[in-house]
Amino acid sequence: MPWYLYLALKQLFPTGRVFPFFTFMSGLGVAVGVALLVVTTSIMGGFGHGIRGMIVDTQGEIQVVSPTLIDHPIALVERLEQVPGIAGATPFARGVVMLQYHNKPDFPEIQGVDLARVGKVIPFERYLVAGSLDDLDDDSILVSAQLARGMGMQLGSEVEIYSPLMLEKMKQDEILLPRGVRIAGIFEIGHQHLDRRMIIAPLRLMQELYGLGPTVHGISVRLKPGVDEFVLARQLNETLPAGLQALTWFESAADFQSVIRFEKYMVFFLLAFIVVVAALSIMSSLLISVVRKTREIGLLGALGGKPRQVAACFCAQGFFLGVTGTAAGLLLAWLVISFRNDIVRVLARFTVGEDVFQQFYGFVNLPSHTTGSDLATIIVGAIVASTLAGLLPAWRAAQLKPVEALRSE
Amino acid sequence: MSDAVLSARGMRKSYLSGDRRIEVLQGVDLEVRAGESISIRGESGSGKSTLLNLLSGLDAPDAGTLQWAGGPARVELRAEFLGMVFQSFYLIPEIDARANVLMAARMRGRPGPAERARAADLLDRVGLAARARHLPAQLSGGERQRVAVARALMNFPKLILADEPTGNLDEHTGDAVIELLLALARETRTALVLVTHNPAHAKKTDRQMLLHDGVLR
Ligand SMILES: Nc1ncnc2c1ncn2[C@@H]1O[C@H](COP(=O)(O)OP(=O)(O)OP(=O)(O)O)[C@@H](O)[C@H]1O
Ligand SMILES: [Mg+2]
Repeated sequence: MPWYLYLALKQLFPTGRVFPFFTFMSGLGVAVGVALLVVTTSIMGGFGHGIRGMIVDTQGEIQVVSPTLIDHPIALVERLEQVPGIAGATPFARGVVMLQYHNKPDFPEIQGVDLARVGKVIPFERYLVAGSLDDLDDDSILVSAQLARGMGMQLGSEVEIYSPLMLEKMKQDEILLPRGVRIAGIFEIGHQHLDRRMIIAPLRLMQELYGLGPTVHGISVRLKPGVDEFVLARQLNETLPAGLQALTWFESAADFQSVIRFEKYMVFFLLAFIVVVAALSIMSSLLISVVRKTREIGLLGALGGKPRQVAACFCAQGFFLGVTGTAAGLLLAWLVISFRNDIVRVLARFTVGEDVFQQFYGFVNLPSHTTGSDLATIIVGAIVASTLAGLLPAWRAAQLKPVEALRSE
Repeated sequence: MSDAVLSARGMRKSYLSGDRRIEVLQGVDLEVRAGESISIRGESGSGKSTLLNLLSGLDAPDAGTLQWAGGPARVELRAEFLGMVFQSFYLIPEIDARANVLMAARMRGRPGPAERARAADLLDRVGLAARARHLPAQLSGGERQRVAVARALMNFPKLILADEPTGNLDEHTGDAVIELLLALARETRTALVLVTHNPAHAKKTDRQMLLHDGVLR
């Protein structure tokens, strides 16, 4: 090891000192900055990633839609299933209906699915908390857990559905009676938004309620693992007949995604200042150290040290502080992320109470998704900032003339 | 003159103090032969430290020529040609006595087992074998100066320049350090230029000189 690196390490970790206070304090700033950056970007990334999971699990990676109705859905499904990279496809129709149970109404979203095909695209069994998919026939529906709870419905309850078609018929002086159906299952997806008011119905029932005949609103597409949805969607858009459009999950929730992304960048930008401040504090402690060690720097010159080696000694201290601070910060972040739910729970218990917290925020379990690129940006940024912070002290040290440095008493 | 380790001719140095120029050295000639010891005395402010800085190449003269071991003095040669001892010991506080001695070798490249052995040996010779693992802060003034002496000898220098090495020590400790310095210099046939205020110390050297009015006699 060159002497200037050896001396840099020794100045940070002096021989025989168990707890180097100066190094600890300088590194602490970097550690806190890095930890906060990693934790917040991971949790915000977790929300974004959770949204993707939710959308993909309930509608596939890609949906092929049309501004009008799709006339021959099965032909399109079979054509899509020929495309390499596509694991399965299933038609759907969606809308809003009024649900009535014991004179109590609600207005859930309804999604009609092709029972023969939907299993290839959407893993409903995974979300079922009561009932069975096998019991689902053209006279029954699945309801979301919160909807069932809110209206007091149970497995096997008989409910009535009023569709917008009834209003259309009324204009023509015809009366269409509400459709009676049975609850064949209750599902819980785990996202407030989807669990609040949602019905899954067999496609034929939905087509009947909306008067769609054999037509559907779109096709949900599930890709084989590892296939890039954005590439495949572009490819589909080039080959699909005019009027049909392939949308990725991202475009289906574009507003939501861009808000999350914007928030992430804002938080990143604000928290980056902690690292900048930490770098400035490294700079000031190293500057103090240069002044304090003026005579020793003079001695290094007398022993044959070159100015640029003396500079390297101080620059290296900035670098080492950056590396140790970042390492400590990553460890801290890992701890916080590992115990994030316990931390939130304790915080909730001491503030508003766990139940209120869950009701208000809709979660007690924080998602977390750390991306390699975020991590790399944070690590490189923190180390580069700390090393740059060493430059000014290094330059000052290199400017010292040995004779003058040794004279300074 | 083949055995001259250092030869200085017509060394001049002046400083600007306000608008007045102080002629500190006005043509100093000095020849140091291998293994010989020389003392330089002079009033405070007479320019002794200034002269040593010129001889060690740390500072540039206004005029004059300097030769080390028969060739022109070059900064790159200093670490192996010269050992230096100062009034303030200038040990590096973060590392122990042995590492401070070894630092002189480390600055010329990675120290190997031979260098480590020599550092241990030198500490033994200055009577600090038992203190090798002590930090400078854990040593007395005399002990620190002895570490500095060992460091000055580390690279087998041809010449040691010592600028009032006893200035910060009490009389008894100072005497011991000077005895040690002279003995080691003689033993290793290293030339020594010793700046001192103490006539008793000066007397122990082979040649006594006086810096006065900018010239050395
Ligand atoms: N960098 C400088 N700038 C201005 N004047 C200087 C400088 N260095 C030395 N001098 C002046 O040169 C003169 C000689 O200084 P020097 O330190 O060589 O004296 P000295 O003989 O070593 O004295 P002492 O015995 O007190 O150590 C002094 O008058 C001092 O003020
Ligand atoms: Mg002096």
